[in-house]
Order: sequence, then C-alpha cells, then structure tokens
Amino acid sequence: MEKFSPVGEKDVTRAIVTEFAKQFEEYVESDCIIVGAGPSGLMAGRNLARAGKKVLIIERNNYLGGGFWIGGYLMNKVTIRKPGDRVLDELDIPYKEISDGLLVADGPHACSKLIASACDSGVKFANMTVFDDLVLRGDSRVAGVVINWTPVSALPREITCVDPVAIESKIVIDATGHDAQVVKKLEERGLIKTKGFGAMWVERSEDLIIEHTGEVHPGLLVCGMAVSTTYGLPRMGPTFGAMLLSGETVAQIALMKLK
Amino acid sequence: MNFRSIERIVLYNEGNSEKLEIEEITKYLRQMFGKVPVDTREKPFTLYPEKSLDYARKLASIRIHDVRVETATGEEPLYGEVQYEHRKILGQTMAFGVLYDGFYLQRVFSELIPAGERGFDIVNIFITNRLLATWEEGERRYHLRTSVYGFPSVISTTGIVEAPARPREYYLLKQQYEALGKDLLELKEKFKGSFIDYEDDRLTKVMKGYAVQAVFYAMTGHPFCEDKGCRLYNAHWQEEVIFAQLENEYEFCPRHTEYLKKMRGT
Repeated sequence: MEKFSPVGEKDVTRAIVTEFAKQFEEYVESDCIIVGAGPSGLMAGRNLARAGKKVLIIERNNYLGGGFWIGGYLMNKVTIRKPGDRVLDELDIPYKEISDGLLVADGPHACSKLIASACDSGVKFANMTVFDDLVLRGDSRVAGVVINWTPVSALPREITCVDPVAIESKIVIDATGHDAQVVKKLEERGLIKTKGFGAMWVERSEDLIIEHTGEVHPGLLVCGMAVSTTYGLPRMGPTFGAMLLSGETVAQIALMKLK
Repeated sequence: MNFRSIERIVLYNEGNSEKLEIEEITKYLRQMFGKVPVDTREKPFTLYPEKSLDYARKLASIRIHDVRVETATGEEPLYGEVQYEHRKILGQTMAFGVLYDGFYLQRVFSELIPAGERGFDIVNIFITNRLLATWEEGERRYHLRTSVYGFPSVISTTGIVEAPARPREYYLLKQQYEALGKDLLELKEKFKGSFIDYEDDRLTKVMKGYAVQAVFYAMTGHPFCEDKGCRLYNAHWQEEVIFAQLENEYEFCPRHTEYLKKMRGT
C-alpha cells in the first residue's frame, strides 16, 4: 500500500498561507481584474490570459462558473445558439445539435471545461471575495477594485467590522451578471446612469448583448448579462451563446486598450 | 374623399432585411399609382457621412427602455449606445432589437430628406428594421407599431413581425415555455406560417400593402379601410395581416379600387 508523506499540520498551514500570500501579493496589481466568474467572465479571462495578460477574477461564491452549471428550471442541460458552437469546439466541449442552430451541452461538462481552460491559460482567482467598491483616479478613470471576504459582507457591519483592501489594474471588467454591480457602483457616484432591464424582445437580446459589450466608462468594460442591465436590453432566457461570445468580445476590446 | 395631388414617391430603404425586395415594392407602387414617379434611395444615413455621429447620438437618445415610461429627449445616451447606433448607420452591424419612440424616429428620418423634397406633394416613406412604439396617453404606456404615417411615413419590417398579435394559443404556450426555460425557437416552429416571421419570404408582399397605406395617408389623410380584406385594413392580429395582405381574393375593396383607378386615369 502506498504511504502518504509524513507532513505535519503546521506544514500544511504554512504551505497554504505562503502560496496564497505570494499570489495575492503578486496580484495586488494586474493588467485586468474581472468581477464575476460566470461564463462571460471566465471566457474573457481565459482569452486575455492566453494573450499573455495578467488576469485576476474575483468571485463572491466558493464555486466558479456562475449559472453555467445548469440551464432553465434547474435542469443541467445548457443551450447555446450558433455561432456559439465555435467556442464549444475551441474548448472541446461535446454538444448535440437539437435543431437548426440550437445546440445543447451537458452543464457540468461545459462549465468544468471552461473553468479548466481559464486556469490552464493562467487566470488566477480570488473566490469567496466580494466586490465592495471601485478605485478611481483623479479623472474618474477606473483603476482597480476594493474587495473583502464574502463572509464579512454577509454579516452585519457591527459584528464583523473588517475593513476591505484595494487592488489595482489597468482595466476592470464587470461580469457580475444581472446585478451589474461594478457599473451600479459607478452609478451611485453619479458617473453613469444605467437603463435597467428592457422587458421585451427576448429573441433579439443575444445579438444586442454582443453589440453593446465594451467600454462603458474609462477603465471599465462590461460583458455578459451586466451589459443588459447597463443598457436596458431585453432580459434573456437560459441560453449561453451570448455570454461566451460577449466574454470573447470584451477580451478583444480589452486587448486593444492594453496595447 | 378628396385627393391631394402628389408629384413623386420616394422610398428610403435603411436595408438590413435580406428578404425585402425593395425593387418589387417600387414596381408595385408604379403599377398602383400610374404616372407618379417612384424613386428608391438606399441606406439614407450614408448620404450624410459627416453627420453620422450626430445622427447616432440622436437615435441613441430616443430609445425606449421601459414601455411604461415615456421617453424624454435630452437625456444623455451612454457611450456604448451611441457606438452601437453609429455602427448600425455605417452598416457595420446587422444586429437589431432596440425599441425606439416612433414619432421621434420620424423626426430623425425627416432630417435625411433633402430640403426641396419636404413638401406635401412628395410622399417620403422610410422602410426600416428598427422596432417602433408610440406612447398612448390614456394607457400610460407604449404600444408597438408596424408603421407611423405622416411626413415622412415610417414602416418597420420588424414591426410587421412584432406589432400585430400572434394567435392567443401562442402566448399561452410561450408563458409555459419561458417558465420551463425551453427554447422559444421550438415554439415558433409549432406556429410556423401563422404569423410573419423574420426573414419571411412573404415580407415583400406584405410590405407592398403598407407602402400603399402610406401613400393614401399622404393623399387623403386616411391610410386605413374598414374592409378586413382590403390591403388598407389596419390589422391588429397577424391572421388579419395575412388575410388582408396575402390571402384575400381581392387586393383592395371596391371603393379603394375605384380610387386607384381614378389615380391611374384608367
């Protein structure tokens, strides 16, 4: 029988602390911080990291992937419309063509492949971490984010009383989904006015999300469903093609900005 | 019915619908209105490239974000909204899906008409794939429209698809599909043929009737007819559109057929 190496508790703790601190210290400054590790954020991070950029993704949950694990009604099949198949092929995700242009994939398989691809590309993650505020420069350019531990934000401030910390980057991407948390924070400061959700015309929303993906304020880009909230585009059903392609688009735009 | 004489009909085509054969509509109008010359102008925004960003800003500011809130002009559009409109004007995107205030859109289009062609004797018709709605004061909400008649008139290809209601059963099932997260394409397949869809082969034929309505508005102030089989019928349901524009045995009711004959001098 194979024997595990003799390692003491203190060695385990030291390994965790050292490696975490080393990475955290390194990523206090990066090329791009993405808030939200759903499909659009993961896709954006993956492509940016593949292009050699230093990328940190902030995720408030312990798990990555957002809603990409399951489709509608908690059923774990995800639907993607063409031309989303291009991304599925690139990530080597198996899928079935149900009807002309409509593809279905296994949620856990698709999501785990996307996460793995982002990790393989060199993206680093700060999970269980919430976005708290923006770092703004004198000309109101977005230059980073203020973060805290998720459990801290879940408790009343009187109990936790833990100050957040700030990390900086050349570009911040809001991939927080329907909440558009980063854009909303900018709105709180009176620097932008979002349009809220458009109620109608679901069929056309995927095209529009891609079209409106991009810079919304100097230093701040928006992708995925956060685009919908920012611009008042129609709310979408559980189809993920636009999320993946929006992530791809925002990465292209970010790369141009980072040149 | 009194006629206002018209000198010319000009069709402005914003493009963006592959199935729309504008030449077919032009030919049809020539047939209907005899001696009145009919011209076509493609992609009207490109006639003024130096003003494209200005028009993009205007279009971005007349979007409807909430059908229960009347669009107020003067609100500063977001950078991304202007960029999208600019790309659309320049023909760099085929995407559509934004809802616009129909009356404000009419005003933006009117700026594209050369100064000497803005009189009542020239019928300017803009065909667009932008979706329009007009504010109903009584109900305090916007309603989707296929067309907004006036000077100029605006007819929306997406409005033909979205504004007239589909069969009741479609909406009942749609509710279920949405609740279950099922794909709506499947639902559309079920009801195929019972409504005009995007890139529908029947679009050009349907559009002919709406173009004639616009000319009647310019000539008489009355674009509509009460006869459900007449192409001038103001259809609120898709089945009414299909009947009036495609299926009825006659194109125009006897009264409007007579008017058209008089117009042509036949």
